[in-house]
Amino acid sequence: MAVSVRIRRQLPTSPWLFAAPGLLVTGAFVLYPFVSTLVNSFTDRRTLLPGRFVGLANFRELLHDDMFWTGLRNSTLYIAGVVPALVVLPLLLALLVQKNIPGITFFRSAFYTPVVASIVVVGLIWVWLLDERGLVNSLLETIGIGRVGFLSDQWLLLLSAMAVTVWKGLGYYMVIYLAALANVPRELHEAASVDGAGPVRRFFSVTVPAVRSTMVLVAALSSVAAFKVFSEVYLMAGPTGGPAGEDTTLVMLVQRTGTGLTGRVGYASALSVVVFAVTVALMLLVLRADRRDES
Amino acid sequence: MVSSAANSPTQQGSRVTVPMPRRALAAAAVALVLPLSACGSGGDEGGSTDASGKVEGDITFQTWNLRANFTPYFDRLIAAFEKKYPGTHVKWIDQPAEGYADKLSADAGGGTLPDVVNVSPDLVAPLAKAGLAMDLDKAAGKYRPEYLDGAWASHQVPGMSGTYAFPWYLNTGPLFYNKALFTEAGLNPGRPPKTYGELFAGALRMASKSGGKVATLANVPTIEDFGRYGVTLMDKQGTAFAFNDTKGVELLTRYKELYDAKALDPQALTATPESSGKKFLTGAVAMNPGSALDLDNFKKNAPSLYRNIGITDQITSTGHVNMYVMGVMVNAHTRHTPAAVAFAHFVTDAQNQMSFAKKVAIFPSTAGSLNDPYFTREDGTDETRVRIAAAKSLKSAVNYTPVLFSDQMKTALRNEVAKALQGRESPKQALDNAVNAADRLLRQG
Repeated sequence: MAVSVRIRRQLPTSPWLFAAPGLLVTGAFVLYPFVSTLVNSFTDRRTLLPGRFVGLANFRELLHDDMFWTGLRNSTLYIAGVVPALVVLPLLLALLVQKNIPGITFFRSAFYTPVVASIVVVGLIWVWLLDERGLVNSLLETIGIGRVGFLSDQWLLLLSAMAVTVWKGLGYYMVIYLAALANVPRELHEAASVDGAGPVRRFFSVTVPAVRSTMVLVAALSSVAAFKVFSEVYLMAGPTGGPAGEDTTLVMLVQRTGTGLTGRVGYASALSVVVFAVTVALMLLVLRADRRDES
Repeated sequence: MVSSAANSPTQQGSRVTVPMPRRALAAAAVALVLPLSACGSGGDEGGSTDASGKVEGDITFQTWNLRANFTPYFDRLIAAFEKKYPGTHVKWIDQPAEGYADKLSADAGGGTLPDVVNVSPDLVAPLAKAGLAMDLDKAAGKYRPEYLDGAWASHQVPGMSGTYAFPWYLNTGPLFYNKALFTEAGLNPGRPPKTYGELFAGALRMASKSGGKVATLANVPTIEDFGRYGVTLMDKQGTAFAFNDTKGVELLTRYKELYDAKALDPQALTATPESSGKKFLTGAVAMNPGSALDLDNFKKNAPSLYRNIGITDQITSTGHVNMYVMGVMVNAHTRHTPAAVAFAHFVTDAQNQMSFAKKVAIFPSTAGSLNDPYFTREDGTDETRVRIAAAKSLKSAVNYTPVLFSDQMKTALRNEVAKALQGRESPKQALDNAVNAADRLLRQG
C-alpha cells in the first residue's frame, strides 16, 4: 500500500524525468542553436567579433547577393531533379526485391550498401569515375562519343551530384517502401487479377494508391534533404562550388560565408533562416497537397 | 495478421491508401530542418604582455598537421624546453591540415585557444584584430634581430601596430615540368620557360600539338600569381585592393587565351592543389609548382615521370619568387605569458629551426641561417639542387598574399576569374568585381 502511494506521488514529475535526457539534448543541440541563429541573423556578428543589431540589413543584402540567388536556384533544381527519382525508383526497386526468392537477400543488401557507405568515400569514388581521364570518360571515348566534362561543366556537375544523391538514397527509401508494401493486402492484387488487371494496371490501381501516403512521406523527406544538400556538391564541385561558384547550393553558401576566422556569422545566420523558412514552406506544401488529394 | 490503426489500409472507392500519421510527418520534418546552423561564442580571461617573469607553468602548443611525420622531433624539442626551464610542462596537440582555420575559430570562440599556436599570416590577422594574438613587439621585441626582417614583418597587420607571431619556417619551391611532354610538343626540354611570354607561347604550342589533351597549367591565377606578375595588389595604406589594374587585366586576358586553347586544364576552374598535383603525376598537365618534398612523391608514385622530371625557377616579372611563411603565435590571454613567449621563441630560434630544416624541405626564417653550408653546398642530388636554389631565391622572396586577404576574398577572386575564363565577363569587369567584393569584405572587418 505504501509503495503504491509513493508511486502516485511521483507521477506528475515522472514523465518529465523520462523525457529529460531527450529534452536536454534537443534543447542544447537543436532549439538553442536555432534560437541563436535566429538572433544572430539580425546582427552583423563575425566569427571572432561580437555583433550589433542591424535589423533586416542581412536579409536586404541577400536579396542583392548574386550568390544567394545562385544557391536558391541550385537547391531548387536539386529538388526538381532528385525528388521525382527518389519517389519512383525506390518503389520500383522495392517491388523487385519484395519477393522472397533465393538470393534476394544479396540484392537487398547490395541496394542498401550505398546508404551505409561514407558520403566522402562515395563522393571521391564518383569524382574518380567522372574525371576527364576517369573510367566513364575512357569508356565514352572508346565508343566514340568523346570526353564529357562531367566535373567542369556547371550543369553536368549539378546533374552528376544529383545522380550520386539518387544512387545513394535509393536503398534507404526502398526499405521504407518495403515496409509499406508489406501492408498492402494481397487480396486486393488477387481481386484485381481476377478482374483482368495486368501487372501495370495493378501497379497503378492497387500498389500506387496503397503506398500513396508513403510516397508523400518520401517526397517530403527527400525534398527537405535535397534542399539541404551539401556533401555531394561540395565533394564533386569543390569548396568553391564549381566553376565560378555556379554549383553552390544554399547550405554550401551558409558554410562558406559563416565559417573560418573571418566568417560572417550574422549574414550566414540570415541565410540559414531563409533555408529554414523555405524548407518549412516546402513541407507545408507537400502536406497540403496530400490533404487535398485525400479529401 | 493484425496491424495497428495507423498502418491499416483504408479503401476509398477503387483507391487504397495506407495513411501516415501527419503529426509524425510534420515532427520529422521539423527535426530535419531545425538544426541548420549554429555558431558559438566565448572568451578568455585576460593575459599580460609582460614576459619578464619566471618561466613556469603548463602550456599547450598546437601545430598544423605535423604530428604524422615529425613526432620524434617535437618530442625532443619539448623535452629540451622542459629541461631548460624546470617547472614547465608543454602539452602538444596537432590538428589536421583540412579545416585548420575552422578549428582555430572554434577554439577562439570557445575560449580554448592554446597558449602557443602555429599560424600563417592570413590566420593571425583576424586573431590579432579580435585581441587574441599577443603583440610580440611588446612582449618579445628583444628577439626581433634574430629573424630576417621580411619574415618578422610578415605577421604584422595593416592598420594595426605590432607583430603578432614569431616567424617560423619559410617555404618556396621550383616549377616542375615533364620533359617527355615538352619533347612530344617540340619544345626544348633543356630550355624551360623563364618568362611569362615564353610560358604562354609554349603552353599554346603544347595544347595545339596534343590536340588539347595535354595542358601546361592546371590552376587558375590566384592572388599570389597576380603578385608575381607584378600587379599591385593593395594600396600602401592597406585600405583597398588594387589588382584590377592594367597588369592584372593583362594577366587574366592571357590566361583566358590559354583556357580557350585548352592550354589551361579545363578542370582548372574547380581544381585544388591536390587535384592539380595528381594531374601532373598522370601526365595530363606538363608543369606544376611544388617543393623539394614532391621529388619523393614522384619517385614513389610516378617513376616514369621522375625519370623525365625537369626543374626550373618560379616565373616572375618582379624578380622575387613567392614564399610561404609559417609563424608561431602566443595567445594574448595565456595565463603563463613568460612560459608561452619563451616556448614560442624556443621553437623558432635559429638552432631549432635549423634542426627542423634538416628533417624536412623547409627553410629557417632566422638571420644568417640560409648561409649555412646545408643551403649552399651542392652534393649532386636533385634534392640538394632544389634546396640550394630555393634557399637562394628566399633571400629576396616575397609573401605576395596580403595578410588581409581572407578566405571569402579568395573565393570571390576565384569565382570572378572563372567567369572571365568562361567568357561570361571581360577580364576587366571580372577583376573590378573581385576588387569591389574584396573591398566590401575588408570594410566589413
